[in-house]
Amino acid sequence: MSDLADRVMVLRDEVLDIVERGDRDQPGADLFDAIVRALAAYGETAPGIDLTLHDAIARRLAWGDTEDVVLSECGAVFDRLATAAERSLRDRAEEMLVLEVAAEVSTQVARIVALAALGRAQRDRAARSREELAQRRLRDALADQRSTLTRMSVPDVED
Amino acid sequence: MTAPSLKLTAHGDTNVGKVRDHNEDALIVDAKWGLYAVFDGMGGAAAGDLAANRARDVVHEYVRAKKKAMEPRALLEAALNAASAAVHGEAQRTRDRHGMGTTAVVALVIEERRVVVAHVGDSRAYLLREGRLTQLTRDHTVVAELVANGALSTVDAENHAYKNVLSRNLGARPDAKPDVIELDLAPGDRLMLCSDGLYGYASTDAIQYLLGSTDGPQHVARDLIDLALRGGGGDNVTAIVLEAGAQAVPRATQVLRTSGAIAWWSRRAVFLGEAKRRGIAQSPICAVLSADEALDIVAGNLCEAIFHDLEKSTGVNVWTFAENLAHGWFDQGGAWQPLAELLDLLAASARAVTSELTSDDEGLALIVDAAIVRAFITAEMAVGGVLSERLRVVEADLVRVHSARHAAADQSSRFAETPTIPYVSATRAATPDPASPEVRAHLQTLAQQARAQVGQKAPARQAVDALLRAALEPVGTASPALLARELFGVRPLEESGIAPLFDALDIARSAYVAAMRRAGGDPAQAIAVMRRLAGAQADLAAAIANLVVEAATPATERLRDAMRETASLRSEVGRNEAKLIDLEKKYASKSGGRPQLPPRRRV
Repeated sequence: MSDLADRVMVLRDEVLDIVERGDRDQPGADLFDAIVRALAAYGETAPGIDLTLHDAIARRLAWGDTEDVVLSECGAVFDRLATAAERSLRDRAEEMLVLEVAAEVSTQVARIVALAALGRAQRDRAARSREELAQRRLRDALADQRSTLTRMSVPDVED
Repeated sequence: MTAPSLKLTAHGDTNVGKVRDHNEDALIVDAKWGLYAVFDGMGGAAAGDLAANRARDVVHEYVRAKKKAMEPRALLEAALNAASAAVHGEAQRTRDRHGMGTTAVVALVIEERRVVVAHVGDSRAYLLREGRLTQLTRDHTVVAELVANGALSTVDAENHAYKNVLSRNLGARPDAKPDVIELDLAPGDRLMLCSDGLYGYASTDAIQYLLGSTDGPQHVARDLIDLALRGGGGDNVTAIVLEAGAQAVPRATQVLRTSGAIAWWSRRAVFLGEAKRRGIAQSPICAVLSADEALDIVAGNLCEAIFHDLEKSTGVNVWTFAENLAHGWFDQGGAWQPLAELLDLLAASARAVTSELTSDDEGLALIVDAAIVRAFITAEMAVGGVLSERLRVVEADLVRVHSARHAAADQSSRFAETPTIPYVSATRAATPDPASPEVRAHLQTLAQQARAQVGQKAPARQAVDALLRAALEPVGTASPALLARELFGVRPLEESGIAPLFDALDIARSAYVAAMRRAGGDPAQAIAVMRRLAGAQADLAAAIANLVVEAATPATERLRDAMRETASLRSEVGRNEAKLIDLEKKYASKSGGRPQLPPRRRV
C-alpha cells in the first residue's frame, strides 16, 4: 500500500498546482497530505478522524481563512487528484482505491469544517450572552447618569 | 354600499417534474368550503409526501369542522398549527421519518370577495391585478431573512446556493407560526398559490404573462406547469389559479397581443405563399411529403404555433414544433445543415408578413416582428437541446468503440496514454457528462444491494439514495446542494444532530464499495461508477458542511450586532461621564472649590 502512497505523492505538484501557486503553503496541501497518509495506512488501521488534518484545518480557520475557502480547496484538490489518478495509474483497482480514500478524506474535511462552524456558533452565542449582560449594566449606569445630569442641569447653575 | 359578489373559479394542477421520481407536493381545491392550499413536503425517502399529505388532510378536516365557528384568521392559524403538530408527532414516532416536514400556503375565501392567506415556508401566493403581479407572501427561508435584515442583497439572494433552506416549516415544531394576510379581491383579479417548483424554474415575467392570458384558470394552471417543465422541471411543481369574476375589459397588453396574433393569422396565406415560393417542398426534410403536405405539415404547423404563442406570450408551441421536427429528422439520420436551411427559409418567409404589415400598421408589424424573432430563437434553442442530447449519445458510442479497439490491440495500454490530447481519457467526456445508460443501470443495482446492507437505518438509507441521485446527475449541477438540504431535513444545530449525517455518508459509501467488490464485472464500468460515487460523496459532504456554516452564520451576525450595541452604549456612558465632570467642575468653581450638587427643584 505504501507503494501506492508513493506513486500518489509523485502527483503532489500537479494536484496542488505548484507551477501556478508556488511551493510554499499551497492551498489544499493539508488535504492532499491527509489522503497520502490514509493511503499509506489503508487496511492497517481502523478509519477515524485524522487528528493532523483536524489540527491543520482548525489552525487555518483560527488564522482567518473562512470555511468556504477550506471547502472549495477541498473540492479542487479532489477533482484534480481524480484527473491525475485517472491519467497516471495503470491499475484500475488502484485508481478506485485512491478515489475511495479521497472521498473519505473529503468527507472528513467537511465534517471538521461543519463541527468547527458549530463550535463557532456556540462560542458566539455565549459571547452574545456576555454582551447582553454588559448592556444591561451599561443601561443601568446610563439611567443613573441621566438622572444625575437632569438634577445638575439647572439653568442658573449651568451659566 | 355593498360590493357585488364575485364569481370565483379555480383550478389546481401538480406534476412530478422531470428529475424527481415521486411527487412530494399536495394540494387542496375545495370550492364548497372556499379552501385552496399547496403543500411541498421534504424529508427524503417516502417522508416528504407523507408529511405533505398528512398536513393537507389535517388542514382540510380542521377547516371543514370549524369554519362556521371561528374567525377566519384564527381558523387558519389553528389549522396550520394542528397540521404542524400532527406532522411533528408523526416524525417523532418513527425514526425513518425524523426530520420530515412540509411548507404550506393556504387561501380561505370568505363571502367570495375577501380572502385570508396563511403560509409557512417557501410556497408562495401571488396576486395579479391590473396586469401587475405581486408576491403576497415572504419566503420563510434563511436567505430571505438575511435579505430582510439587510445582510444580503436581493441580487445575491437570487443566486445563493442555499436560497431554499427553510427557516420555518410544518413539522419542525408542534406550532407552525404562520404569517397571515387578508385582502379583498376585485373583478379580474387572479390569485395563484404555488410550490417552489414553479417559481424556481420559471421567470416572474413569464408567470405574469401566463397569468394575464385570457384563458380560464384550468388552462393557465396547465400552462404554468408546462412553463416550469420547460425551464428544467427540477422539482415537483404545483399551481392553483383562482379567478375573481370575468375580466370586464381586456388589458392593454392583451389587446396588443391579440391584435398581433390576429394580424399574423390573417396573413397566413402570405407566409405559406412565400414558403412555397422559396421551395419548402425541395428541402430534404420534406422529401417524403408531397408539395401540399410539406406546406401544410411544416409551414402550416409552425404558423399555428406562432399564432398560439403570440396570443399567450409563451414559446411552448414553437418549442414543441421545433423539437418534433428535429427528432423526426435526426431519427432518419439527417444532418444539421438541411434543418438549419429549412429554419432559415421559414424565418425569411415569416419576414414577408412583417414587410407587408409595415405598410399597413407599423405598430402591429413591430409586435409581429418581435414574435417572429422570439419564435425562431426558441426554435433554435429547442433544436440545440435535441442536438446536445444526441451528441452525448454519439460521444459515448465513440468512446466505447475506441476503448474496445485499444483494449483488443494492446491490453497494457489505454486510450488515455496515446499521445492525442493531454489529460483527456477514453472515459472522461470533455463536457459535464450525464451517466451512460450502462453506468446508470449498474449504479441502480449497487444501490439496491447497498440499501439491503444498511437496512432500515434512516440516515444511512437516505444517504444511499442521495448518493445514487447525486451520482446520476451530470457533473457540476446544483443537485448536491438540493440533496444535502433534503438529507439535512430539520435537525438540531449541534454535534449530535450533524455528526450522524457524515457517519451516514461514510456508511453509504462503504456499502456501495462492498457491493461493487461483490459484483466484480467490467473494470471500466466499475471505475466509471466509482468516479461518480466518489465525486457525489465529496460534493454532498461539502454541501452539508456549507448548510451547517450557513445556519451558524446568524449567530455570528447577532454577536456583531450585540457588540455594536455595547460599543454604542459604552460611548454614550463615556460622553455622559465627561458632561458630569464638566458640571462638577462648574459647581466647584461656584462654591469655592468644593463640589456641591444643586438643590432639588420645587415641584
